[in-house]
This record gives sequence, structure tokens and C-alpha cells, in this order.
Amino acid sequence: MRQIRRHRPLLASVVTLGLLLTACGEDDADDPTAGGNDSPGDSEETPTGDPITIGISLPLTGDFSEPGKGIQEGYETWAAMVNDSGGLLDRPVELIFRDDASDPNKVVSDYESLITQEEVDLVFGPFSTRLVIPAAGVAESYDMLFVEPAGAAPEVFEQGFEYLFYAAPAIASDHYNYLAEWILGLPEDERPQTAAYAALDDPFAQGTAYGLKEKLEAGGIETVADEVYPPGTTGFTAIAAGIADADADMVVGGTQFEDTVGLLRAFQDLGYQPDLAAFSTGPTLPEFEEAVGAASEGVIAPVGWSVEADLGANQEFAEKHREVHGKEPDEDAANGFTTGEIVAAAVEAVECAEQGEECQRALADYIRENEFDTIVGPLSFDEAGRPQSAHMILQWQGGEIQIVLPEDSEVQTADIQYPKAPW
Amino acid sequence: MSGSLFAQGLALGLLAGGLYALLSSGLTLYFGVMRVVMVAHPAFLFLAAYTTYFLHRVTGMDPLLTIVVTVPLFFVVGIGIQRLLVSRLAPESLAMMSVLLTFALALLIEGGLGVVATGSYRSITVEYATSAVRVFGVALPIDKLIGFGIAAVTFVAIFLILRVTRFGKALRATIQHPTAAMLVGIDTNRVRGIGFGIGLATAAIGGAVLAIIDPFFPAAHWDYIGKLMAIIVVGGLGSVQGAAIAALLLGAIEGVVQVSAGATWAGLIFYGFLFATLLLRPQGFFGGRLAERF
Amino acid sequence: MMTVAAARRAAIVVAAAVLLVYPWIAPNSYMRYAGVLVVMYAVLATSWNLVGGFTGYVSLGHAAFFGLGAYGTGILIIDLAVPHVLALAISTVGVVVFAVVVGLAAVRVRGASFVIVSIALVTMMSLIAQDARELTGGSSGLRVPPISEDLDRTSNHLLFFNLFAALLLLATLAWWFIDRSRFGAGLKAIREDEDKAEALGVPTTAYKVAVFALSAGFTGVAGGLYGMWFGNLDPIFVFSIIVGANMVIMALLGGVRHLFGPTVGALIVAPASEYFLTRFGETQIHVVFSGVLLGIVVLFMPDGIIPKVGALLRRFGPVSSSIREETQQELRDRQGVGA
Repeated sequence: MRQIRRHRPLLASVVTLGLLLTACGEDDADDPTAGGNDSPGDSEETPTGDPITIGISLPLTGDFSEPGKGIQEGYETWAAMVNDSGGLLDRPVELIFRDDASDPNKVVSDYESLITQEEVDLVFGPFSTRLVIPAAGVAESYDMLFVEPAGAAPEVFEQGFEYLFYAAPAIASDHYNYLAEWILGLPEDERPQTAAYAALDDPFAQGTAYGLKEKLEAGGIETVADEVYPPGTTGFTAIAAGIADADADMVVGGTQFEDTVGLLRAFQDLGYQPDLAAFSTGPTLPEFEEAVGAASEGVIAPVGWSVEADLGANQEFAEKHREVHGKEPDEDAANGFTTGEIVAAAVEAVECAEQGEECQRALADYIRENEFDTIVGPLSFDEAGRPQSAHMILQWQGGEIQIVLPEDSEVQTADIQYPKAPW
Repeated sequence: MSGSLFAQGLALGLLAGGLYALLSSGLTLYFGVMRVVMVAHPAFLFLAAYTTYFLHRVTGMDPLLTIVVTVPLFFVVGIGIQRLLVSRLAPESLAMMSVLLTFALALLIEGGLGVVATGSYRSITVEYATSAVRVFGVALPIDKLIGFGIAAVTFVAIFLILRVTRFGKALRATIQHPTAAMLVGIDTNRVRGIGFGIGLATAAIGGAVLAIIDPFFPAAHWDYIGKLMAIIVVGGLGSVQGAAIAALLLGAIEGVVQVSAGATWAGLIFYGFLFATLLLRPQGFFGGRLAERF
Repeated sequence: MMTVAAARRAAIVVAAAVLLVYPWIAPNSYMRYAGVLVVMYAVLATSWNLVGGFTGYVSLGHAAFFGLGAYGTGILIIDLAVPHVLALAISTVGVVVFAVVVGLAAVRVRGASFVIVSIALVTMMSLIAQDARELTGGSSGLRVPPISEDLDRTSNHLLFFNLFAALLLLATLAWWFIDRSRFGAGLKAIREDEDKAEALGVPTTAYKVAVFALSAGFTGVAGGLYGMWFGNLDPIFVFSIIVGANMVIMALLGGVRHLFGPTVGALIVAPASEYFLTRFGETQIHVVFSGVLLGIVVLFMPDGIIPKVGALLRRFGPVSSSIREETQQELRDRQGVGA
């Protein structure tokens, strides 16, 4: 008797599961807008016709949720602008977002479901190298073009992906190139002799710092400290102590935002005053000044995009972004927008936007063989999808961001200050 | 590693150890009174940090003053958790179920914080705590000094309560042997509830301190779980002074290792000590008679 | 009128048939992928239950073995060019040996301390995996080459669905055998009262380590298969307390005392959590839901859903009375007593 009762529930569960599965299949199809997406805007030229669906997985929660949201906003601004001007191939674009909670397992399942269940026409990439590599793997196996806004570490381009392109001026290890050039170009007695490096244990952050490290070491600048810390670290005093003790002439941070602030504050606390301080990501965000106040003076960072630059459709982008989101765009949004720009240009040129190797491969080939006029300037790509342009270098001066390198270029807004003022 | 670096690492480690002592005293109390592994303690810690943050943001209250509000609140919540949730668990499977229940609480808190406050990192900067005091060439950040001070004062208060007051003796009796305590007339249910309340009150204080020291985000509690667990095992489960000694010791070692070998090794030493304790002296090193082998 | 045994067999056969047929009836590649995940979780939950269900020791850090199996297999394939199947075998042996060594230390403590030890174990492995860049690829992760370049993605899903299903069968069989063996009785005695069991002569340490190693072995194989199927290993998400907690939630939800408990738990929780993430992923609500679900199960259904559902269905079935429907002879036969 007990044994029947024990297994009737099993049968019931199996039947329930079957129902759940069919429900799952329908439910997802009924609910394509899982997450805040932007429907075609209310403007004069609302395009009609079958929408072009674009699937995107982003970290909207979890470790990378801040930049994830930034990129989402960039994509949304792009979609709004495209739909305002008649759509793509005269069809409206529709963005379908999924949240991957910064989890590589989820990003794979998101793209798999977007491609095979939602059957989206195109996909855009997610955020961070960690997520880009598994996601690109999915796209590759289904022969989908994969232009991504944020996977910049060298490893991304060594996987043999044929459909991947990174929509920003340069890959991580080349972000600091102009700065390296400038430092090594200084006369011997003015040049920093020693350098300290602090990097987040993340392929992108380390990519930027170590890219610079390689070049500086080759130029004879000694590395006296090299600290790496895991993601989620919030206490930087101990890490900073090691660097302060080595008293290097310059310090380079491969960082995101919180760790830039944490390290800087810790250096302040310990009284360490380098001649040059460079951090990736952190100082490119407007919140940086709020967080560190006057200590921002003289801090340097590589940046791919600048809100004032008059490159491509940059000013229209900035304006539309303010209109749609009510705030200033940041670099993440700009990367998202650039992704959209490149894919749109390819789609219009090749005149197709659908799944299937023929169309997607034609799009990929087009991107590889052409140059694009984007909001970060002219962009072209090599065999592996690496962008061939270069990042600018910014420096905070008087509470404002100034573009200091490359010198004598149309984007420079001020001269670089060196050595930097004490913080 | 230079002498000054060593001294710096040691100093920072000791300051951190003070905070760990406060936090683990609460954790070891839960274990003592109810044999419960309160995995949600660090989550409550961050809940307190967020509460402090929002009180400060909205009312402009000094973050340390928010303790006046959060401590009684958390105390009551602690009693509530013990009475309404923990005591419902069957004693036979208490170990498994209490871990899972408190784990569920931790998830709830993390999720709730994420929904209400989003995943952005938050921190509070107070004007009087942005620089450092220099003593013999070692920089002691003022915010960490304040944290240490508050932790020490609270800790001494708890210690005195346990040693000197009648309630404290009742609590220690309940920890040592609940049945015997009942036999001499102690209302163990009430004692347990209050013990839990005290534990959560320490989380409230710890949270306020954390809010001014380091940035925090909803998922930050996971890092603390491992460290605090290791501390209470090394110190002796159920012993408050054992937890304090272990906290200072391990904090100091962590500080020195962090400036020399890096953050990963610093994280690993806690677990190294944990395993060593379990192999050599499972009842902990510093607990005295209060510690139990489990 | 079916006999008890026949009805039970029929139920199992139907379930097995659904399992085998599933990848073919799945409407698209994503559903196949989801199916692989669900079966994998069923394997993990069942393996965990070898320790949790029989001995009552809660390991929140079982993901340590999962990760070891995954990385072990991956490293053997990549660095030593070992063929996939052999790599899986060697890696599993390694995981079992590791589990024996760790187990000998870990089972010296009980209850709460054991939980702490398991958490410490998985956190340590996560830190080590992130740090040992040359070996594990560090934070960039490890990319494991697929078992066959010729297999397209959706056939790959099919292959691994079947492999995981086979593993599930093995794990379930193992549980079934132990359940009715002397070894199992000893383990259950440990669960009920360890000191008395020891006093009665049950070799508690040996038994505990043995089942711990067995459970770790199955988990390690699942890890290795995962590595080969998924292809991308990330140290934080493979050595994760959340994965370990999920195993526990599933086993608990289904019922730790029942053969199919963990499987049922996995069948309910894994699709539900995928669904919640797609629906509510914008905010942390899915984390809240996990917490609430776990809390409800712990407080109100600690024996799991199977007994609860069983009790519910029993209400609709024939009410048992004290009037026996069998003769004295049948009763004697049933009890195995002589004529």
C-alpha cells in the first residue's frame, strides 16, 4: 500500500512537468519583452512592417549590473534613433533583453533561448569578457553575427571566432598605448623610473594594466609592485600599503569603478604621492569626481569615447540619449550605441536581417572588409575582429575631464599635467 | 618585506580584527544558545549597513548615531527570529534545518536589498574620518580606528553582561547545559530569545561601522560567512572571549599576509586555520570551559 | 486490478520513457539545453542525497567536487592531451581520492561544524582556482574543447542529455542499493544517533568517509561531463555555494528519504528557476523567491514534497479501514511466516 502512495506523486510530478514544459514554451513566446525594452518611439516616421528582433543578454543584476544597465541604455537610444528615421530596411527594430545576472551559465542559456526559441533575427553582445566568450561560442555554433560592446581582453580574440567584432576603438591591452608612447618619449631625467601595478582579477582590467606594463618594462621602467585582487574586494588599505611601501614613481590601476575609488582613498590615507596615477574605467565616469572630490586632480584614464567629440553622429547620440533617458550618456552607453551603428550599417549594405548562415556570414564579411564612421571615430577590424583604432587618454583637471592625448589631434582639449598635484 | 610594511600590515590587521571580534561574538552567541549556525548573520550586518546608509541619506543623521535606532530594532527582530522561526525546527534535524533556514533568510535579505537598493556599491564618507593618524610611521586610518573603538566598547559591554549580570549567568548556563539550567529555574526560552537578540544587535552596530569603513553591496555578505565561521571554530563554538581572541589573531595574520603575499593567500589563511583546528583541537583553542566539541 | 508492485513499476517505466523521449520531442534547441541542465541537477541532487539523506550530514560545499571534476577533466584534456573519456575517468579517481582525504578530516566533526567545513572547502577551492592562472586559466576561465568537432550544438545537447540520464540512472541505482543494504542501515543509524551507532559497533568513520567519497565521485563525474558539454569553466560559478545550496534545496524539496526525491526536486526547481530568471530577472526578485521557497520547505515541508503530495492524494484514494481484505493465509504469506 505504502509503495503505491509513494509513487503516485511521482507520476503526478511527471505529468505536471510535461505541462510545465509546454507552458514554458508558449509563455516565453507570449512574453518577448522580458525586461524593460524600448518599443519603437512615437515620432513622425514610425516604420511599419515585420519588426527586426534583436536579442541581447546583459548583466542587469549581479556584479556587473551598473555597466550592464549603461549598455542597455545605449542600445535603447540606438533603437529609438533608428526607429525615428524609418527603421532598418524600412522595418522597426525591437530589442529583446534578458538578464544573465553576470553568470556565464545564464548568458549561454539566454542566447540559446533567444536564438532557438525566440528566433531573433540578430544578436548584440553582452558585457564583460567573462560573459562574452561563452556567449560568442553560442552565436558561433548557430552562425550568428556577434558584434559586442564590452569584451576587450586579448583572450577574446584568440578563440578563433569568425563572427565576433568588438565595437570600440581598441582592445584592452592597447588602451594605454598613447600614454605609453608619451611616457617613453619623455627625456630620461623626467621620466618615471619605477612603476607599481594594481589590477582587479578580471581579464579586461588586467588586460589594460598589463598591456601598459609590457610596454613600459620594455622601455626600461622597473616594476616594483604588482598586486592582484579578487572581484568583490572592498578593503584596499592593505593592498595599497604594499604599493605605498614600494614608493613607485607612478601607479597604474587595471580597475573598474569601486576599486579605483577604493585604491585612491587608500593611497590618500597612507600618504603615498606618485608623480603619475592612471586607472582604467573609474575616472571615465562622472561619479568619480563625486566620490573622491579634489583628489581627482591629475588622475589619468584611457577612454574610447568623449561626449564633446564631434565624431560621426556623436552629438545626435548624446542628445537623443538625454531625451530618452534624462541623463548624460557614458562610455558604456556609447559602446552599446556603436555596436548598433555597425550592425545597422552592415544590414543596410547587405540588405538582409535574418537567421541563417548566408545572411549572417555576408554581414560578417562586410564588417571585416569595411570602415565605419562611428561615434568613436572611424573603425575597421582585423581578421579576428579586433578594432584597429586607439583609445584617447583623459586627465581630470580642475574638476573636469580633459582629453590630453594624442597630442596635436583634433580631440585634444588640454595639455597633460605632469607630475601630478598631490591628492 | 620591509619592517615598516610588516608593521603597517599588522596594524591594519589588528584594526580589522577588532571588527571581526564584534561580529563573531554575535555569531558564537547564536551557536551557544541554540546550536544554530546562523549563516544569515553577515547578511543582517549588511542590512544594518544599508539601514544606516539610508537613515544618513534621508535624515542627515550621523551614521554612528543611527546605532541608537538600529540596535533596538535588530534586538527585537532577533528575538522574533528565535521565537517564531528557529524554535519551530525539530531538534533531531536542527543542524541541517537551521543552516538551511538561515541560508534562506540570507537569500531573502540579499534579494530584498537588491530590489530596494539595487546592486550599486554604497558607502558613506564622514568628514571627520577621511585621513589617517600616523604612529611610528604606520598610518592608522581614522575610520578604522573609530570602528575598532566602537567594536571594543561593545565587546567589553557584552563581556561584562555575560560575566557580571544575573542574566549573563543565566545565558552562560543555558549555553553550557540547557537541561541543567532549566532545572535550576532559568527560563531558557526567554534567555534564548534575548541571546539571539543580543547577537543581532551586534550586527546592527557592526553594520553602522562597516558603512563608514568600506563600500558595500547586497552580495558582499558571502565573503564574511567563511571568515567568521573560521574564527568562531578556532575560538571555540559558544565562547565569546574565544571568538575575540581568535578574531584579533586571525585578523592580524590576515593583514600581514595581505601586504606580503596578496589577497588570495590572505583569504586562504582563515580556512587553513579552520582545518588545522578541526584536526588538532576540534573544540577550539581559546574557549575555556564554555567551548564544546561538535 | 493492478498489484502494488506492478503499479509502481508502471509509474517508473512511464517516467523513464518520458525521460528518454524528451530530447526528441523538445520543440527547439533551447529546450534541449534546458533539459540537459535539469537532468544534470537531478544527478547532483541525487549524489548529494547519498550523504545528506542517509547520514544527515549537510554539505553546502558539494560544488567543490563538481568543480574539481570539471577542472580536472578539462586540464587533463587541454594540458596533457588525454582523450576525453579517459580524462573523465582519471579525474573522477582524483576527486574520489581527494574526497577520502578531506573526508577523513571533515567527518571528525558533526552537525553544524561539518556545514562550516563544507562551506570553507568550496570557498577555498574557488579562491585557489581563481589564483592558479597557469593551471586553471584563473578568472578568464578554462575553455574545454568539445568531445567531437563534427557534432553541431543541438546534437551535442542530445548526446549529453543521454549521458547525464545514464549517470542519473547509475546514481539512483546506487542509492537504491545502499538503501536496502547493511551499509545503508549503518548510515541511517548514524543519522538517528551517531554515538549509539558507534557503541553498537557500526564503523562510523569508515562508513561516513565511504559514502562521502561515493557521493563525491558521482558529483565529480557530473562535473567532468558538464565541462565537456558546456565548454566554458568559470571558477566563481563552478565552485559556488549557490550551486551547492541548489543541490540541497532540490533534495530537500523532493524528499531526502525517498529514492526519487532529489530527482523530483530537480524537476521542479531547475525549470522554475530558469523561468523566474527570464520573467523577473531585471531585479533581484528571483533571489527573494529562492529564499522564500527554501524557507517554506524548511519550515513547513521538511520531509519534502513527495510525502506531502502523497498525503494529499491519499485523501482522494480509498480510505484504509481496519477491515482486512485478505485472508489469514495471504497475511502469513506476505509476512513470510511459515504455514
